[in-house]
Amino acid sequence: MQESDVVSRPQALDNIRVVDFSWVRAGPWATRWLGALGAEVIKIEWPENERGRLPSTTTPQNLEVNLNTSGNFNDTNVNKKSLGLNVRSARGLEIVRRLIAVSDIVIENFSSRVLQEWGLGYQELCKIKPDIVYVSMSGYGHTGRHHHYTTFGPVAQAASGLTYLSGLPDKPPAGWGWSYMDDTGGMYGAMCALTGLYHRNMTGQGQQIDLSQMVSSVPLNGPVLLDFTVNARGSRRAGYPPGNRAHWPGTPLVNNYRGPTVAPHNAYRTHPGEYNDWCAIVCYSDEEWQRLVQVMGAPLWAASPKFTTVIGRLRYQDELDDKIEAWSMTLGKYELTERCQAAGVRALPVQSAEDRVEHDPQLRHREMYLAMEHPALGLHKVQNAPFRLSETPASNHLPSPLIGQHTREIVEGLLGYSHEELRAGFADGTFWPTARPRFPYMEEMLL
Amino acid sequence: MTDPRTLRGPLTGLRILELADQTGQFCGKLLGDLGADVVKIEPLGGEPNRHVGPFLDDVPHAERSLSFWYYNTSKRGITLNLETADGRELFRRLAATADVILETYRPDFLVSLGLDYESLRKQNSRLIMCSLTPFGQTGPWRDYASSDLLHMAAGGAMASCGYDEADVPNAPPIAPGGGNAWHTGCHFAYMAIMAGLVYRTVSGRGQYIDASIHDACALTTEAAVANYIYRGEVLRRQTGRHHAAAPTPRTQFRAKDGTYVCALVAGRLNPRYVKELADLLDSYGMAGDLTDPKYQDPAVIAANTSHIIDDLVAKFIASLPAEDVYHAAQKRGFTWAAVRAPEALLDDAHLHDRGFWKKVEHPELGRSFVYPGEAAIYNGSPWRISRRAPLIGEHNTEIFCGELGLSRSELCVLAENRVI
Repeated sequence: MQESDVVSRPQALDNIRVVDFSWVRAGPWATRWLGALGAEVIKIEWPENERGRLPSTTTPQNLEVNLNTSGNFNDTNVNKKSLGLNVRSARGLEIVRRLIAVSDIVIENFSSRVLQEWGLGYQELCKIKPDIVYVSMSGYGHTGRHHHYTTFGPVAQAASGLTYLSGLPDKPPAGWGWSYMDDTGGMYGAMCALTGLYHRNMTGQGQQIDLSQMVSSVPLNGPVLLDFTVNARGSRRAGYPPGNRAHWPGTPLVNNYRGPTVAPHNAYRTHPGEYNDWCAIVCYSDEEWQRLVQVMGAPLWAASPKFTTVIGRLRYQDELDDKIEAWSMTLGKYELTERCQAAGVRALPVQSAEDRVEHDPQLRHREMYLAMEHPALGLHKVQNAPFRLSETPASNHLPSPLIGQHTREIVEGLLGYSHEELRAGFADGTFWPTARPRFPYMEEMLL
Repeated sequence: MTDPRTLRGPLTGLRILELADQTGQFCGKLLGDLGADVVKIEPLGGEPNRHVGPFLDDVPHAERSLSFWYYNTSKRGITLNLETADGRELFRRLAATADVILETYRPDFLVSLGLDYESLRKQNSRLIMCSLTPFGQTGPWRDYASSDLLHMAAGGAMASCGYDEADVPNAPPIAPGGGNAWHTGCHFAYMAIMAGLVYRTVSGRGQYIDASIHDACALTTEAAVANYIYRGEVLRRQTGRHHAAAPTPRTQFRAKDGTYVCALVAGRLNPRYVKELADLLDSYGMAGDLTDPKYQDPAVIAANTSHIIDDLVAKFIASLPAEDVYHAAQKRGFTWAAVRAPEALLDDAHLHDRGFWKKVEHPELGRSFVYPGEAAIYNGSPWRISRRAPLIGEHNTEIFCGELGLSRSELCVLAENRVI
């Protein structure tokens, strides 16, 4: 399959080529956005040590789990091409060097010394392509005594303090229910690549950008850290973290680094009380509180002097939250949201993935989930960009590649090898392991 | 080799005008710390986020907010009242030479002042303008009010974070702290701005960017959306580990010092891993029966998963301080970590090796303070904090007189008329 015809407008990264060695999640999430912005992203893959397609927990129930049927892989790898290549062979290394010579960016998220061991460290990359922008996305970075330590999202989150910021006081950390730092680490990978590219376009100079998943988590704790370095106040203290509240009643009144210290500031159960029937409500001022009182029907309890001041609402927060929840339980979370927002009260529903894809009118309006055909998975919604560039809109224009789908296109079309050389590379295990059955599209490319 | 001290940040030469509240100020910091000249335009009296704590020595003051300090490094600051004709005129003059405008006003506010992108680009076709707002410029929720907590709810973070019933019965969904809805919006806004800047290096043309924090948060829940789209699954919350369609073994264990260790063991228990785990535990005399050769049989491992995790690993971790477990495990190749409070990072030797912590001068206080540093080391164009957050109107004279050519007496008139 060739590129779809959706891309008629210019894209921000037209004519930019990315050699993408990345795997699992954080690296592929980075290059997904470079692809959405118009770069040609060439994913180097080898089925014998592939991580990202398998193991798959997101293959539709009616399909066989194989290298081409992971739903999450598809969403994470749209807008890319796949080159099957054994980089650990001499022939494979020669081919990847030729590819790097005609590319702008090299990006990978291996452990810290892998590319160097392959003979593709930054100094070597410079010899192949002097102005290359090389983004390494390792767990702890290439610099520093623990560069050989490894991470997945949850480990980076734990080591950096992010996990600790989530939870109820006097309970174990609730942490993050997903690899936030695979998503955010991926964001930083894309941000670094774009920044390096801009710098190259302005100066003619490439560089290595040594990104670390663990280290990039730490600046997300800025005010917590300044409270320690400036005020000598640590976050291991009574009442912290305060769950969804801005302050936990009965503990020292200290800011919690999420914004102003106010009440109400919590998640409340809503009708009919199922697992995700909750709504977050926050009042940043007395005025907003009085608006909420009106939305609740001006109940007598809300007129009590206990609740008319912010100090009172913080002091009697347990009682306040109980009273609000008694009311919120009478409404569905979307109806409650609409009523509150119509009155100028900050309220939004807790939304599961199903809620976001099916019920969120804003995300629907913004076309965040548009269907796209994938040759093995069929027609499914894919997540879109959260920003609109007026002249060069980001778009999902290619489904995720089947493994090795674009080997012929790249090897013959881009790099100028002959068809005989392609066939020889399949025969000697350069483009696909000789012992492994080939997919039908590989047989076709050998005709 | 070039002396690294003479290198400048990758965004050197760019002029950014930032009109951002708590939702967008981090994006300005990301740009400024990488070398852009970020001019923060605040309302008279300063941006409201200056009143968010904690404060220096717990003394509340607009110049003592640590939150404001952190998110506004490497910026210069001016005050400007855009709701005056003089204010708008001065803003247009600044916009004529700017590369990027980052703004977080409610949709249509700048249109109502005649300061929207279409008006401003007439005098500067290279201008990139990014509006970063809670819901974007269009749609039924466009004018909804929000907060960090609300975005964590609607974006999907809360639906994934919480507790096992055994740990906290009847627990609510939990929104992780620290302001990460704002961070997430700012990361995507930064990406969009950089894409616009790269395109401009080729085309010479600017463009307008409509960025949405809600969209950004809704995108940032890893496989949750894929789990729903491809399998119809709605995931359950679990203590300190991934959401899941069906319960998974725990990964968070209490250490001897009362803090926790994140140990990713489940799902990895093959004979080789078990052998290495047995060696690790055995080096502390805590291997129990795990050194028994029977554990080289995958069937035996599968039948004893709970014994290995809930008994042997849990007891091993309970016997040591969390930091000791972390380093002992990582040295043997285990992807484990201590669950640290952020302040523990000040003692992290690896961060010190990377020169991560930065001393930032606050000359008006005669003091300097330690700030967190860079996510990534740019070997050809270094990140740095060029200055502490601006005081209110600190650069009014420098910019209005020095750059726009106003006289000192005109500056006085503008102040008297509540323009600056």
